[in-house]
Amino acid sequence: MSTSHERLQPPKLSVVQTPFESSRLRRLQALGIFCGFAAGAWLGGAEAPIKLINADISPVTVSLVMVCGVFLARWSVPALIRGTSHVRTDVGQAPHLVVWAILAGCMWAVANTLTIYAIRNVGLSIAFPLWNTNSLLGIFWGFLLFHELRLAGWKRWAGVLGGAVCMFAGAALLAIASSHQAAPGRATLGVAAALGAGILWGTMYIPYRKAYLTGMNPLSFITFFTVGELLTMVVVAVAYRGATPLWRELNAAKPVLFWLMLGGLVWVLGDLFQQYATKYVGISRGIPLSNTNQLWGLLWGILVFHELKGGTHTVYAQVAGGSLLMAAGAVAIALSSATEQEHSSWRNAAAREGERYGVEHEYVRAGMEGRSFDNRQDSRTLLDWLLILGTTALFILLASMARLPAMDISIGWGLALSLAMLALLAAGGIVLWRTTRFR
Amino acid sequence: MPASRFGSLIRAVATDVHFWIPFSVLLGGLVLLDKLR
Repeated sequence: MSTSHERLQPPKLSVVQTPFESSRLRRLQALGIFCGFAAGAWLGGAEAPIKLINADISPVTVSLVMVCGVFLARWSVPALIRGTSHVRTDVGQAPHLVVWAILAGCMWAVANTLTIYAIRNVGLSIAFPLWNTNSLLGIFWGFLLFHELRLAGWKRWAGVLGGAVCMFAGAALLAIASSHQAAPGRATLGVAAALGAGILWGTMYIPYRKAYLTGMNPLSFITFFTVGELLTMVVVAVAYRGATPLWRELNAAKPVLFWLMLGGLVWVLGDLFQQYATKYVGISRGIPLSNTNQLWGLLWGILVFHELKGGTHTVYAQVAGGSLLMAAGAVAIALSSATEQEHSSWRNAAAREGERYGVEHEYVRAGMEGRSFDNRQDSRTLLDWLLILGTTALFILLASMARLPAMDISIGWGLALSLAMLALLAAGGIVLWRTTRFR
Repeated sequence: MPASRFGSLIRAVATDVHFWIPFSVLLGGLVLLDKLR
């Protein structure tokens, strides 16, 4: 049994820093890129159920119910995929990551609530590009703190930075095109809220990268992340609404609880892909790729909810131009995967993290390579089955109370987009299983 | 978790500048949220 003093001894850096097999590195990079695109589809799709909610429910309550769905999904999805026993193993190896995960969850919840205020005060057209700056901030933190893009060469720099700027410009155009729904209001506070959300989300990726450099499994990270999310949202909701009015509002919202919780579930699957993207291609590439969610949100808006019906030629030109810019930016980033030299910088950062927190170097190495650390086969426990069955039963109960509002919805397009998302989910699941066994 | 290991963990987190960056941003976000109420 090792003592705490022994555990804080520096790891053998050579093991962490030894180069990966080039074929393995290429496979992990391709996996991360694919996960980034799949994240975009599922994060964008999460907006669809929320569009079914009428405006008379307070934004904080909407956010709270979504986070409840997120919380249940963040525990039951890992239980379904691998069982939650591995969470104990991960925490035993790298307990400091519980602190990082909860901190990241708190940041997410505050940022999400700020976006609601931003949209209310300045409208989507101004708010969305402002908080989308999170990917540029993510690149900055990735470079400064985790050695991403070091020794990458000017071509990769141009690909990642140029791609992110392209996506930012595309996002701005798309947001302007969809701005007819939003009403401008208290401008300064709205701009501050949107920028605040961007800074919070962009900085939230520091804990993400921290976790994955020291070998954490994304399925473990999200279980603690969501504790931070739920705690923050409960405190904010009770403080803003008051316990009794909040309870009354939740009771009155029974017919729409299902759609909000479904939005949370879909969002969790997208975020899980985002976590894997961050793990295998870093924040400088993973985050801009998952920001393609705006394209998917727009597809749902136009095709299923007929949002731009009767729009002018200018609006359609903005949509086409913005979409092309975003797609071009995403392709540029996807083609700029890390070289072996850049990857050696990542391994240096991983060695530094392992040294600081006394994490076993073999564990760090195995986590970075997406392979098993101890070859242990965790089976599902009674708790896992209770989580899966309990969450399923709750969703069925809420679905039985749900009402579809009278809206002009294209069911055919909704099914087509859902099938495309499910195809990405299945493909992503298979590739993640084959390459890393969901590590 | 043994107390000594917990103490080492807290020390390692508290002396890590990477912790204070997101923590400060979180506090700033909460202040902003309070102003928006």
